Amino acid sequence: MVRLVPLVEQTAATAVLTVSEVAVRFGGVSALTDTSLLVQPGTVTGLIGPNGAGKTTLFNVISGLQTPDRGTVHLFDTDITAMKPHRRARLGLARTFQRLELFGSLTASENVQVGLESTVKWWEWRHLRRAVPWKRGSASAHTNVPDVAQPPAPGSLALATCDRLLEGVGLEGRGGQQSAAMSTGLARMVELARALAIGPKLLLLDEPGSGLDESETAALGELLCKLAAGGMAILLVEHDMDLVMSICDHIYVLDFGDVIASGTPDQIRSDPMVQAAYLGEAAPSAEPLPAAPRPPQSVPDGLGGSAP
Amino acid sequence: MSNFLQYTVFGVMVGAGYAIAATGLVVTYTTSGVFNFAQGAVGMIAALSYWELVSAHHVPVLLALVILLVFGASIAGALVERVLMRRLHGASTERPVMVTLGLMVILTGVAALVWNPTTTRQVGNMVNGQFRLVGINIQYQEVLIIGVALAVAAALRALFYSTRTGHALRAVVDDPELLAMSGVSPNRMSQYGWILGFMMAALAGILLAPTQTTGINIEAMTLLVVNGYAAAIVGRLKSIPVTFAAAIGIGLAENYILSYIVPHVPQTLVPDITNALPIVFLFIALVTVPAVRLRAAGRLTTVRAPRVASGKESLVAGVVFFGLAIVVAIVFSHTVFRGTTILALGGVVMSLGIVGLSLVLLTGYSGQVSLCQFSFMGIGAFVMGKIAGGGSLLGLLAATLVCAAVGALIALPTIRLRDLYLALATFAFASAVTRGFFADGHIYGNGGLSIGRIIVPGVSFGNDNAEFLLVTAFFVLAALLVLALRRSLFGRRLVALNDSPAAYATVGLNIGFTKVAVFAIAAGMAGLAGALYGTVQGVVGQTDFEIFPGIIFVLFVTIWSIRTVSGAFLASLTYVVLSQVWLNGLGLFAGFGIILIGRAAGGILGIEALQFQLPWVKRSATAADGVTAGRQGAIAAVGGETRAAG
Repeated sequence: MVRLVPLVEQTAATAVLTVSEVAVRFGGVSALTDTSLLVQPGTVTGLIGPNGAGKTTLFNVISGLQTPDRGTVHLFDTDITAMKPHRRARLGLARTFQRLELFGSLTASENVQVGLESTVKWWEWRHLRRAVPWKRGSASAHTNVPDVAQPPAPGSLALATCDRLLEGVGLEGRGGQQSAAMSTGLARMVELARALAIGPKLLLLDEPGSGLDESETAALGELLCKLAAGGMAILLVEHDMDLVMSICDHIYVLDFGDVIASGTPDQIRSDPMVQAAYLGEAAPSAEPLPAAPRPPQSVPDGLGGSAP
Repeated sequence: MSNFLQYTVFGVMVGAGYAIAATGLVVTYTTSGVFNFAQGAVGMIAALSYWELVSAHHVPVLLALVILLVFGASIAGALVERVLMRRLHGASTERPVMVTLGLMVILTGVAALVWNPTTTRQVGNMVNGQFRLVGINIQYQEVLIIGVALAVAAALRALFYSTRTGHALRAVVDDPELLAMSGVSPNRMSQYGWILGFMMAALAGILLAPTQTTGINIEAMTLLVVNGYAAAIVGRLKSIPVTFAAAIGIGLAENYILSYIVPHVPQTLVPDITNALPIVFLFIALVTVPAVRLRAAGRLTTVRAPRVASGKESLVAGVVFFGLAIVVAIVFSHTVFRGTTILALGGVVMSLGIVGLSLVLLTGYSGQVSLCQFSFMGIGAFVMGKIAGGGSLLGLLAATLVCAAVGALIALPTIRLRDLYLALATFAFASAVTRGFFADGHIYGNGGLSIGRIIVPGVSFGNDNAEFLLVTAFFVLAALLVLALRRSLFGRRLVALNDSPAAYATVGLNIGFTKVAVFAIAAGMAGLAGALYGTVQGVVGQTDFEIFPGIIFVLFVTIWSIRTVSGAFLASLTYVVLSQVWLNGLGLFAGFGIILIGRAAGGILGIEALQFQLPWVKRSATAADGVTAGRQGAIAAVGGETRAAG
């Protein structure tokens, strides 16, 4: 039986993302069955579940790479269910991919630049002329790129340029490297920086922590908390339970295309159905999922030493 | 009524012929993931071999069929898979297209060497005689073709859906690694797919040969398969029953149009309409096929991207190049090579070089394939000749704009689909224009279309030196433009689109718009090149812009390096030199060249051993050197106070 956990402070009226009863079938296999979830602004929402639970399919539905058979997806008040992926992105929806989708022939900073310039019309002379030898401008000369810090919130990342975005994800000095030649961990950060470059209001992260070592994961968690504190809504798919439990404000558990539980990390940790889904039928007697300290809600100013 | 029935029976027969060709395409594509552009050429070789055996050496028909289908086609298919295709796993998406095109030009080249094209070779019906049914005459040959097509479709359907091998054959494209884990060799399945595809192609060629009333023409037989493209597209390159039904429908539609509509149009337009029909059907099919879902493929480019010259470097190189051209113009001002002045040949090299540059932009940067750049050249030359009597700068502009518009129209129906469909559309377009528009004496005029030298008030480009330098100047400008575009945000977008369409869309960029834009720009460049080519040659005719030379040229650029400006120039130079020295060798050179290059994305210029660095040019910015920050601290640097997350 599906147990519906009452949504704590989860109301559709304020939500950035509202997924309502979305269903997707691949041939005879049901990937998602009437899945609903909300993502509130300024929070990190976790989406966990075993492999094949439908997490990436749900991400594809939200970002427009998969059309659902039923159900609707709203970004703020806009129904985006049938909208093309690039139009959703222009409304402020960014994502990363579980299997990396980098622009491999481009350098790390060019990857980010493509994101930064996504609203720029290439045929306008003022942009074309940067390619003309005697008019070369620096990469930071964009004047109309979205600023992640809009509206500037205390402690949010004021990342308006390529270099600052790369700094923000810990890739300073590596902007000139061809992204295909980077290790998985670094490549994931390039993807994250590129997603941030479009100035998202909603950020979908598909296993950003895989391929990262412990200290990198910790830094990632901290970065996500900062972004959320700046007002961004983040939906996080992640297998690293320590990371999920420590930074998420709300968690949905997906199993066989169904939301089997939702709630705060504490509620999820002690939920017997979740334990069954993760640890098998013997779960109720098993160890509870790891407890983790909540992150400090006060956010450090700027980006440590690298911010101005 | 009896007329209608007669047309219908003939339409079904023609459709059945298309069905055999189209299902052959679908079989190879579903089992190997490669669209075999050489399908028609295989059929052509089979038809000629059949003629050789049955008509020339009087081998019994059944024995000939066994020799050709059971032994010839299957061995050839297996060899092609083993030697050519297996090496291409993981190569960029356009490379299998190029290699099958290479195979096509090799086969047409070999056919021309073995079977002298000037001899007429007519294959008779396999079964003679006819019978009357409800008042109409039906030939046994028609019944045979329809019957064979039905039997083949039913057998393939049964093979794919009712046998274990069939399931494995379909699975091999989706996930070869998964298939390997279940104990089936994906390579073997791929090989079966190619064997089946070759057998189908050979069967189609042999069955359709008697319909060629003027004898087996190498080019016509090779292009016959284009008629099946629309059907294969309606079947989305995977459904054999849908493909079959669509082929019958197309056969009927074509026959009704030819029977009921064509007699009422002026006689001079008939060949144009006949040749335009396949492309009309193709475009209808493209529009009706549902959009292909964007997939996150997880593909990561591992090839090192060639360094893009900076603005200053390219300017210096451009000036040096033009200076060398001036030296050439002075030194060779009166030299004649085989009846043509060196400078006229140089003008051809430069104008073809601009076509090469358009391919660098289109294929090298954005990964899309166009097989009709020569057709755009032809249209450009036509516009140039018709505007202000030829030779005006306005003509150059008009040629560029008209071709860009035509290019946009061709690309538009394919933007919702995979890049392969664009290659198909351009192939069909090139085939239709070569056989219809360009072949029409009313359009190019009998004896060709005259195009005057460019006239600018106060400056004369009447002599070969000035003309050569003018075309060279256009080439240098086009090269600077392509490099400038690559450095601009448009260039970054093209490369990004090629690397990951899914990511491209999810950062807010419109895939369709970018694809149409780059295709239109490339088409416009080819149009400009055609107009300039016309001013160099003085007179152009249909033989200047045929489909096969166009494809061979694409292969030349790929062989040298489709991602660099120098590749475009060297391709053009070698193409023109070889076409003067050994015209028939062009196809063989291109075909074997592309096979040798294989999956190397950078072509000859990309080979590491051939790389050299000018001492004053800085090293590649993409090199990993100079980075000292360890991976360990990379992300830790984000926050001042690192917090334990778990």
